[in-house]
Amino acid sequence: MTQFALAAVLGLLFALGTFLVLRRDIVRVVWGVTIISQSANVYLVTMGGLSGSVPILSHGAHGEVGAVTDPLVQALVLTAIVIGFGTTAFALVLTYRVHQEHGTIDLFELERGGDT
Amino acid sequence: MEPAHLVIAPLLTALVTAILTLATRNYLNVQRAVSALGGLGYLVGVGVLYQAIQADADGVIVYQLSDWGAPFGITLVADALAVFMLGLAALVSLAALAYSVRFISDYGQRVSYHPLYHLMMVGVTGSFLTGDIFNLFVWFEVMLMSSYVLVAFYSGKEHTRAALTYVVLNLLGSAVMLLAIGGLYATTGTLNMADMAQRLADPAAFGIDPAPVLGLSAILFTVFALKAGIAPFQFWVPPAYRAAPAPVAAMLAGVVKKVGVYAIIRLYFTIFAAATLPAGLSLPGLSGTSFLDFFGPVLFIMATASILLGGFGAVGRKTVDGMLAYSSIGQVGFILLPLAVAATVPEVRTLGIAAALIYSLNHGFAKALLFLASGIIERMTGTLEFANLGGLTERAPVLSGGFFLGALALIGIPPLSGFFGKLLVFDTAARAGADAALAVALVGAILTIAYFSRAWNRGFWGEPVEILERPSTTLTVAVVALALGVVVLGIGFDPVMEAANAAANAALDRAGYIDAVAPEVVA
Repeated sequence: MTQFALAAVLGLLFALGTFLVLRRDIVRVVWGVTIISQSANVYLVTMGGLSGSVPILSHGAHGEVGAVTDPLVQALVLTAIVIGFGTTAFALVLTYRVHQEHGTIDLFELERGGDT
Repeated sequence: MEPAHLVIAPLLTALVTAILTLATRNYLNVQRAVSALGGLGYLVGVGVLYQAIQADADGVIVYQLSDWGAPFGITLVADALAVFMLGLAALVSLAALAYSVRFISDYGQRVSYHPLYHLMMVGVTGSFLTGDIFNLFVWFEVMLMSSYVLVAFYSGKEHTRAALTYVVLNLLGSAVMLLAIGGLYATTGTLNMADMAQRLADPAAFGIDPAPVLGLSAILFTVFALKAGIAPFQFWVPPAYRAAPAPVAAMLAGVVKKVGVYAIIRLYFTIFAAATLPAGLSLPGLSGTSFLDFFGPVLFIMATASILLGGFGAVGRKTVDGMLAYSSIGQVGFILLPLAVAATVPEVRTLGIAAALIYSLNHGFAKALLFLASGIIERMTGTLEFANLGGLTERAPVLSGGFFLGALALIGIPPLSGFFGKLLVFDTAARAGADAALAVALVGAILTIAYFSRAWNRGFWGEPVEILERPSTTLTVAVVALALGVVVLGIGFDPVMEAANAAANAALDRAGYIDAVAPEVVA
């Protein structure tokens, strides 16, 4: 059941992210990229398999020992989240800088002001 | 010291230099000296690593982080292929670094230039050395994060706009890469490259279905194509290269692009080549049963598109840097073309990979040289538009000579390194009997001649333009050094060819790679 719920949520998140990336407003584009990379993280967790209990075996040992969730994907997602923070922060700062330089964050107007 | 520790020598050199340049930022001359010494140290580190690999019986040195054995720990692998690419990175980056010291404004250098430059080198080095696909993602991010800032470095109007496209595209690429890696982990049960190759060679024993692996490896391929600027993912290249400062453009075209090429060679010729296609799969143009037989036609189409798009695009450009950026797209096609032939025809596989490597080396040197020269031209005349340029041969003969040599190297005139690059590309295509590849390479070669002679006619001959400022000799020296490099690589070609052959053999020696990493099999 959880799989179906997660699959539906993943689909929705990707759809929302794609929708936002295609907007004219740069801030929305950055939001879209952030949502897409977050849904990639959720997908990563899903790919690790959902069954099992907490990945720490010895301490406390609630639930079934032996059937544990794959701890590796959680480590991967942590890394990916940290990288995501950094890149999102940079993208937002860059958006601010674009606004300073061009006086607009509308991608159509940016394109019109271009010389290429 | 154990030889295994040498693997991290270049990585640590670049990282320590980045930190030291940040610490000494208030002392301009100290910072520059530290930065230049760091660049030299990096070259020495790569040299020592090369020696160690030559001395090693298997030619592969493995460093298991914290002594956690593969596949549980993080593995760094230095073999002939990785060291070949590291050597290219070390030489080009040293020239670009010496150039930057005079080219970038004092303020710019003090704020962030040197730490970013060396952090980018950390990312490049890590990508070449890693033996783990998730860490490949991490190193890519390290490299890209610095390159985003370097593209936006001047932060003027067109710079911020170009950086925005570059950042958004690469962030999407990273998300796609994460998806592919997650999927590969779920289907193969490992992230370690050697372990993955081992499992893919015997999919039934590990319960792996090859069909999803094929799809996921194709998704991953798009990401590498995006990083390498191969058509149809080439559109971000011209604005980003034009916006970046000249030495950064030289690094992006000469070194960072090659990381994508390296990843394609390493993953598709070493790792995924172990697998066989799912039975009953019928696609147009598919003849064999190896994954490479599927990627061969794909590579060929992309290489053809890159060569034509880049070539015709470069012929029509109005500015020097625009032409160089489009030329860069076309030249990556030339690197891809022998790989496509090598993937399809197993008999010429070693030769094809060696050709791609030699061409990468030649393009790294020559294109870096041309971008550095274009930076000087802009300093001197205040413009890079062909319409406003002319008579540079009279005003700056040494610089013009350097530019001419770089152009000749890309065209492929003996005895420059480019001659052997082109020769090997043609040789690979001819030996494989790939007439189509030969035809594409010929068209590409003619286009290269066309756009460089056009640039030469319009920029270097004719009525001399007014010179606003004489740039310092250090800048010209960096260009001359790279021009000498192109000549030396061509004249003393034997050792280069040996190194490229060793690298190609290392790329194809799957058993040796797996043995050296020695991943424990956990079913």
